Amino acid sequence: MTAPSTFAIASRDELYLRGALAASRLMHGQATQRGQLIEASDARDETLIRTCDAAIDDARDAVATLRDARVRLVVRATRENDAESVEATITIAIGGLSVVTTPADVMHDYELLCGLVESKPAAAIGSFPIVWQNGSAAVLLHEAIGHASEHRAPPVSWPSWLSVDAPLVPRRETFRDVPLPRMTHLIARQTSAPFALPDERIEVQLIAGGSYDPLNDIVTINVAVSTAGAFTIRRARAEVAASITGAAGEPIRYPGVICSREGQELYVASHAPVMITDALT
Amino acid sequence: MIDVYRKWGHVVRYENGVTIRVDEAGEATELDGVFRAEPAQTIVSVPHRLSMQQMESHVAQTLLSVLPCKIERLIISAGVARHEANGVTWTEESQRVHLSLIKPPLRVLIDLASFDDPIIATIAKALARAGASREAPKRIRLAPNVAAALLPSLIGEISIEQTGGGFDGRGQRIETRAVTADPPPNWYRPSYAVQPVRAWLNIRALTFGSIDKSAPVAVALLAPVEGTNLNVLCVDGDDVFLTTLDASHIAAVSHDEPVWFPYAAGSFGVEMML
Repeated sequence: MTAPSTFAIASRDELYLRGALAASRLMHGQATQRGQLIEASDARDETLIRTCDAAIDDARDAVATLRDARVRLVVRATRENDAESVEATITIAIGGLSVVTTPADVMHDYELLCGLVESKPAAAIGSFPIVWQNGSAAVLLHEAIGHASEHRAPPVSWPSWLSVDAPLVPRRETFRDVPLPRMTHLIARQTSAPFALPDERIEVQLIAGGSYDPLNDIVTINVAVSTAGAFTIRRARAEVAASITGAAGEPIRYPGVICSREGQELYVASHAPVMITDALT
Repeated sequence: MIDVYRKWGHVVRYENGVTIRVDEAGEATELDGVFRAEPAQTIVSVPHRLSMQQMESHVAQTLLSVLPCKIERLIISAGVARHEANGVTWTEESQRVHLSLIKPPLRVLIDLASFDDPIIATIAKALARAGASREAPKRIRLAPNVAAALLPSLIGEISIEQTGGGFDGRGQRIETRAVTADPPPNWYRPSYAVQPVRAWLNIRALTFGSIDKSAPVAVALLAPVEGTNLNVLCVDGDDVFLTTLDASHIAAVSHDEPVWFPYAAGSFGVEMML
């Protein structure tokens, strides 16, 4: 007989508007799974609470100077069977744009966001190749490779120089949720990829969101900031794969993917090199 | 003054093959513009625990009733909760069904607040026979489940009222009121961890006109409602087709008894006619 699996969590979620606390939530609970049945309650685990409290103190210190933004801190201390982990994420929003970061990178990503808020589109949207800056190609691959693999989509042909590490493990947002196979991270790398910057191009800097529909194999990407402004890409996964023409450099950390599936929001660390695709608009 | 809300709840949920049973209690406060929520430190028993058998029976019935279509997502839950706010204590029981049914490349979305609704089998049969897309017919009926999903988008377009009964998220009585452009008098709090917002609760369309029962009927949503645009599965006699509708102009609202659906902060569905 298989031993039951156990999960415990403590999380703190705080929202700051222009430096002032607006909302504070504590959540804790435990779940035990035997076969296809999960018994869950909001039982309190003092060790996880202490871990969580220490981590949110650090996160508060990291954002203390951000007085012109909407800042949300989420700290999750979890124990899956005997393995404990803690994760702190910070979402910073200014002027309708947002990034998701960690205490270690918060100031760098805040400055990036401030720069993007000030930026203006250089040209109108056109049918030009796209250069995916700031690691933003990770979001395209998150949808087209990561989510497609969660849904066991049939293979499509990707460039031979591209390798993508996006392992799936059972994850859940809270003790109330059913664990699902989800990405922990996505790291895309290139090996000797071609790279020729087109003269006419759209440079993507920040993504607002994306999705993958397993029913029709369509990938949707909502670009928030680019040299052509905001726009939406909606293409079949095979078209996305065939559009990738080049990449350069080491994987760049993209500031933020909060991935939502079945209503469960989880942070997925995402990295990709600068990448070029054909026109997808 | 501190606004305190407490909730003690028990829910059983079936989700794509796994059943999860959850007991929890929570407390939320609002003071000086700060909303705080945390698990409650008090123990209060909810009136009773829910039967797993009833849940399992409904799951089995649903799995059979959708054949030959495939289930993409099936979430069924039953809950009982005791609430306390504004010096008032009340108890609610709920049932929810969320079903995403597919016959590639089509998907229908079904959201219900009852286990004993035969609508799932009706929609599955229609989906199994679905043909091609057609232009929207001039006259078309919207089944109650489709009309309920649309109704929140019709505020300001037709006469709608908030249905009285029970308490809102701040423990205030929900009274029957005409839905207007003014701020709603009541508060919607879907969870103790969510800050309540003003909302029209349990809305229903006032009846008018007459329904042509010979007109085709839109039986299910093929995608979430966007404004007053509907992408729907329609039945016209023996024909089943897909169409998109601009449902901003409602020609009639049936006099039939409406059924409550879990859209927005509660929406009663009754047959409508475009």
